[in-house]
Amino acid sequence: MKRAKGSTDPWPRIGGGFGGWLRDHALTARESVRELGGRSATTLLVWMLIGIALALPAGLFLVRVNLEVLSGEWEGRPGLSVYLELAAPEEVQDNLAALLRLRPEVERVDIVSSADALEEFKTYTDLADVLDALPENPLPASLRVILKAEVEAGGLEEVAAALDGEAGVADVVVERTWLERVNDLSAALTRLGLLLGVLFGAGALLVAATAIQLAVEQRLAEIRVMRLVGATDAQMRRPLLYLGGLYGLGGGLMAAMWVSLALVLIEAPLARLAGSFGQPLEVVAFDAGFFLALLALGLTLGMLGAFVAVQRRLTAIDGF
Amino acid sequence: MGEIEFLRVTRRYDNGHEALRDVSLHFTAGSMTFLTGHSGAGKSTFMRLLLCLDRPTRGQIRVNGVNVAALAPRQLAYYRRHLGVVLQDPHLLSNRTVIDNVALPLRVAGEGERDAARRARAAMGLVGLQGKEQSLPRELSSGEQQRVGIARAVAMRPAVLLADEPTGNLDPMLSREIMEVFRQFRALGTTVIVASHDLALIRSLGERVIALSAGAVVADSNEESFDPADLVDRA
Ligand SMILES: Nc1ncnc2c1ncn2[C@@H]1O[C@H](COP(=O)(O)OP(=O)(O)OP(=O)(O)O)[C@@H](O)[C@H]1O
Ligand SMILES: [Mg+2]
Repeated sequence: MKRAKGSTDPWPRIGGGFGGWLRDHALTARESVRELGGRSATTLLVWMLIGIALALPAGLFLVRVNLEVLSGEWEGRPGLSVYLELAAPEEVQDNLAALLRLRPEVERVDIVSSADALEEFKTYTDLADVLDALPENPLPASLRVILKAEVEAGGLEEVAAALDGEAGVADVVVERTWLERVNDLSAALTRLGLLLGVLFGAGALLVAATAIQLAVEQRLAEIRVMRLVGATDAQMRRPLLYLGGLYGLGGGLMAAMWVSLALVLIEAPLARLAGSFGQPLEVVAFDAGFFLALLALGLTLGMLGAFVAVQRRLTAIDGF
Repeated sequence: MGEIEFLRVTRRYDNGHEALRDVSLHFTAGSMTFLTGHSGAGKSTFMRLLLCLDRPTRGQIRVNGVNVAALAPRQLAYYRRHLGVVLQDPHLLSNRTVIDNVALPLRVAGEGERDAARRARAAMGLVGLQGKEQSLPRELSSGEQQRVGIARAVAMRPAVLLADEPTGNLDPMLSREIMEVFRQFRALGTTVIVASHDLALIRSLGERVIALSAGAVVADSNEESFDPADLVDRA
């Protein structure tokens, strides 16, 4: 028996060295894995529950990140198109543009001549032949006005109202593109994701804590004997923290499985959707980092849940 | 390690019952003592207090001059590693083999697996349990289970050995053998305190005897005034 002299102990100190600590961890890890195997039904159930709790916010996170990428090129700024009367002379367009550039809300004004409009129309539709057949260009010239990013939706209406009465202006269209809607959706998803993340994270924590609490009840006899023979609080906690960690880790793995399953299921319809917007489908962020983050999250929540359960219970265990 | 002092220790329970009453006792390191007394006299309470499973209401328990009630949790754990404990009920872990049960204190103290197994096996040999290493506690008789508890208590070669009715389920022959094992440890410097009703056994060993009655010390063979007749009807 090694009896190292501890400086603060009134008697020789047995154990507590680094080697013993390491051995205790190794043995505990081995026994925890064995214990999981011995209670496979409970283990599977806990993994599933934690997995589901983590998969939902994780999936939302993926959706959000991908939407962001999808709308990445768009500057996300409010804008409007000012269509001029067909008969309006070119100076009207220039004057109007100059006028608009003077407004403080306006970031940029692009001039689109009717010829430009025709070109654009031809590239985006299959109607080129029809248009060629027309005697003259039916498309009006227009101005594209991009407002500064900080301008609220109200500012957009204000500019539109100011333009309405101007001579030569046929129509003012406030743009709300699908990308802008995507952005709104993305913001909503962020909030929903945060809420669900907190809620379901707490859920995962609770599942782990409950599972560990059950384990503590089952091991009360063992914990008591351990304490009697001189186990420190850390030593009594250790197997339970390992168990919680393994529950969480398995839950993270399950969550990754759920998410990939969901991705497989929605891949085809999603690809069609993306294709209809002329974008190729490319799911980003479902990578090794995401996977590891899920595992780490599961591990952390599992151990945290175990810690909570153990602290509550260990202090309440008294003697024989 | 191994000197124990009870200084005017009283343990009063919430219901007003005093399980120990103003008990002052001194045990030198490497001594052996029997604690006797009727059921309810306070023997187990004495053990529990020494193990810090319970605290004195008044008075102090000093081990090597240190008030054990004032130990921080971590120090308390390290203190307990010096105690070998045999409780009235052996409290074995039902899902572990006998040898794992015996090796538990060694494992807690950070002993390597091979050393722990070797020492556990040696302790099992001392109490006559060779060959039962891989059995589960439920496969043993109650006397054998009690001996597993004893092997677990001595495996660490503790500085203090506390045994509460360790031979309750053992026949006289085996009881004697166990007491001889305790004596061997005493010879190695262990302070041994055994609670027992078995007056015949206690007498035949000729060690120090303390009798408790209703929580108070009523006889102590170390005192000048001791009369062996005091023990009659006390056990
Ligand atoms: N938690 C408790 N609350 C109230 N009274 C208690 C408590 N624990 C023990 N007692 C009382 O304290 C007294 C001493 O109990 P203790 O267990 O020390 O007796 P003992 O000498 O070990 O008896 P036995 O020989 O039967 O084991 C008993 O009268 C018991 O009823
Ligand atoms: Mg008792």
